[in-house]
Amino acid sequence: MNWRNGAAHLLREPIVHFLIAGALVFALMSGRAPDLGERRIVVNEALVSRLANRWTESFRRAPSQEELDGLIAEYVRDQVYYREALSLGLDQDDEVVMRRMRNKMLALATSDVEAATPSDAELQKLIDKDPARYAAEVTYSFDQLYLGAESPAARAKAAEALKLLQAGQSADRFAQPAPIPSNYSQNAASDVAAVFGGPFADSLLGLPLGQWTGPVSSGLGLHVVRVAARSNPARPELEKVRQQVTNDWHNSARQRAEEAAYRKVLANYDVVIEQPK
Amino acid sequence: MRGKTLLAAMLLTGTMLTAGCDQAERTLFGKQSEADIKQTAYPERVYWGDTHLHTANSVDAFGFGNRLAPEEALRFAQGQEVTSTNGLKAKLDRPLDFLVISDHAEGLGSTKALYDAPRMMISDPQMLRWYDMMHKGPAQSVVAMGEILKARGNGTMPAALNDPVKGKERTAKIWRGHIDTVEKYNHPGKFTAFLGFEYTLMQGGNNLHRNVIFRDGGDKVGQIEPLDPTTELWPDKLYDYMDAYEQKTGGKVLAIPHNSNLSNGLMFMLTEPNGGPLTAASAKRRAAREPIVEITQIKGDSEAHPFLSPNDEFSGYGTAGWDKNNLLGTQPTKPGDYAGSYVREALKRGMQIEAKTGENPYKFGLIGSTDSHTSLATGDDNNFFGKHAGVEPNNHRAKDDFVPGANSGKMNWQSLASGYAAVWATANTRSALWDALQRREVYATTGPRMVVRFFAGWDFTSADLSGDWVKAGYTRGVPMGGQLAAKAGAKPSFLISALKDPIGANLDRVQVVKGWVDKAGQSHEKVFDVVWSNADTRKQAGGKLAPVGDTVDTATATYQNTIGAPTLTTVWTDPEFDPTARAFYYLRVLEIPTPTWVAYDMVRFKVALGAEIPLKQQERAYTSPIWFTPS
Repeated sequence: MNWRNGAAHLLREPIVHFLIAGALVFALMSGRAPDLGERRIVVNEALVSRLANRWTESFRRAPSQEELDGLIAEYVRDQVYYREALSLGLDQDDEVVMRRMRNKMLALATSDVEAATPSDAELQKLIDKDPARYAAEVTYSFDQLYLGAESPAARAKAAEALKLLQAGQSADRFAQPAPIPSNYSQNAASDVAAVFGGPFADSLLGLPLGQWTGPVSSGLGLHVVRVAARSNPARPELEKVRQQVTNDWHNSARQRAEEAAYRKVLANYDVVIEQPK
Repeated sequence: MRGKTLLAAMLLTGTMLTAGCDQAERTLFGKQSEADIKQTAYPERVYWGDTHLHTANSVDAFGFGNRLAPEEALRFAQGQEVTSTNGLKAKLDRPLDFLVISDHAEGLGSTKALYDAPRMMISDPQMLRWYDMMHKGPAQSVVAMGEILKARGNGTMPAALNDPVKGKERTAKIWRGHIDTVEKYNHPGKFTAFLGFEYTLMQGGNNLHRNVIFRDGGDKVGQIEPLDPTTELWPDKLYDYMDAYEQKTGGKVLAIPHNSNLSNGLMFMLTEPNGGPLTAASAKRRAAREPIVEITQIKGDSEAHPFLSPNDEFSGYGTAGWDKNNLLGTQPTKPGDYAGSYVREALKRGMQIEAKTGENPYKFGLIGSTDSHTSLATGDDNNFFGKHAGVEPNNHRAKDDFVPGANSGKMNWQSLASGYAAVWATANTRSALWDALQRREVYATTGPRMVVRFFAGWDFTSADLSGDWVKAGYTRGVPMGGQLAAKAGAKPSFLISALKDPIGANLDRVQVVKGWVDKAGQSHEKVFDVVWSNADTRKQAGGKLAPVGDTVDTATATYQNTIGAPTLTTVWTDPEFDPTARAFYYLRVLEIPTPTWVAYDMVRFKVALGAEIPLKQQERAYTSPIWFTPS
């Protein structure tokens, strides 16, 4: 049971309270006025034992007859006041009541989603929507020569270094000392991003293979770069990413369920908003 | 005969079912197991994470309004966009590599249970009042939680909220659900979700909290439940629990203390709780159980205090406000308390105790983390979601009291958008990251992700900085967190390298902080500037280096990388090395000045704040120390 299931479970426990309130809310939200002519309060056997059980749960002993009578009297008092208050419209504009009702509606709307199991087709659809999210990372093998922080002088040096390298000569004399390797072999894009920054890793994707190019900007400054190899990640297979895509499915299903439940009841209302002039 | 056949058939089916389950599990998880992940020969990259994050399951986080479950916390850390409790879209610039959700074991889920309870079942008038306040919305919820914390500090909590039997049932249920969620989001090789909890040990409002982190998955951790804290001074009950866990399951677990700055000197004591000198047995047990300390987080920085380190002009970072009184503001902090509250002093104390007993209780590595209670592990000043749901970005949070109504003298603007844990590990898995924590190959930052290397050996020269110098560091030296074995007639040399955060500020300087104990048992400390930016124009005078300058424009909350350096490297030899003295060395890496989160708030919300509120800072990294012990 996860966190939300827990909430939904707790919610279901006080079933009578819940059903009465829920029915009233449903009635209210669907635009029908509740029948406030109902003036009968029945405390049946089941309800009495429920009250007694709750007491036992809290106090770790059964209530005495006197205590039980008190619980029943309190229940009746709650019911009377609750119905009277509703008929007077006292629930209107009460933040506590409104927020509480809203939370219950939300929990109702999403409790089924938590237990649902998506079909493979549904999961595949999610993968197809954003394959890059589920694919293995691109890896890069590349050489780089660091020319220092961005400056016109560094750009000029980059141009000279590039000429030498493209002619197959060493350009080490332009290299600025930095604690980063000059050669990277099959490093994942995120590893590259951790040192050089995301934009640098992204720019490796567009560079020609096997040629010195640049200068390429990173978070550290300017580089000339030669990409030796780039992996071409395979299409993500459902079996390999099932857990991840299932997590995503549950997350978006929950959001959709919340939104759909809201849209459904919202459709019964005309919402008129008058902005102050 | 027939019965036997049936039994055999059942057994057979049972076996087949089990085999079927195994297979189903592999495909159901649809992810690699730890064993499938390739480990590098030595740590090639640093992994970033938060070891200290609270979700709505934490008693106080929920009370402060947080409605985001562990699932949202994990998705956010993985780089997904989530909607914060207050309806703001929240996303990290860069995902984290790992996360420990460390919800308070004490009262796990109890505020949420109160909130979810039928109102008619709440008879205690105080609880009813809090119940209604929580349902009124975030602002009232924060006030309610302030009152609940105060009641806890004063020992006046309503009995019904502390019902041990119900609490235990609730904890067990939430713990099981939590393990399920964390297992689903643990993705070996890509993102590590650790199991853990916070052991909120407190004595008279003094913070002695620990985060407990398991190396293992739900198969082992599911056999136990998080431990409720008590009020003892020394966490022997926690260590007993950790021993019992390891014996029962064959797993491994470590603990990380935090906010020593709010302990009024009790976090790093020189004595046993009964007053006698600390024994070798106590020291040994503590060092074994607590290899790491969280040095920086939202509730201030615990590296050093100006009272203890008057010659260190950078020692006051993130201390203001937090040094006035203890966590709950129930007792003022006296200057005599500071020595037991700050990390640098603790490292010195540890060596003093070792000199007497042979065991060093405070031989720990350093990490930063957030201690965020919003389910959002934000450590960046320009994307800071605050300590709890009541202080998510808004136009007044900076000016508010840290705990509304507590009058503790701690203000929100004194909070740091800090920090993260950097871990040098051989793979992104629970076992590889946990083992790196255990061997202290970690460092702390106040948020920026600078890449810092630190090795000590006996023969490093500047020639070692070219080529495959990292390999040289590992083969001829020890990395951060290590112990340098003594060598006759030589001086230790250190390979030091720092890269700026690729999307952050340039670096000002790298410092070596040295502590040592002399023959008389006195401890000393010294901070050396070992490599700095703009060296052609910045010279040392009287042992001090000229400031790096300042490019911060507070009107726009921006800075320029026109000063400082993107990388700083050097090989440094201790000019004052004494082969007879115990010593530790750690690095402090300073960025150039950048805007604080308050400065970003001022621009974002167009608010004016008092001149006493700092709008610039120099963010930093602290590495784990390397220790030298004479032979």
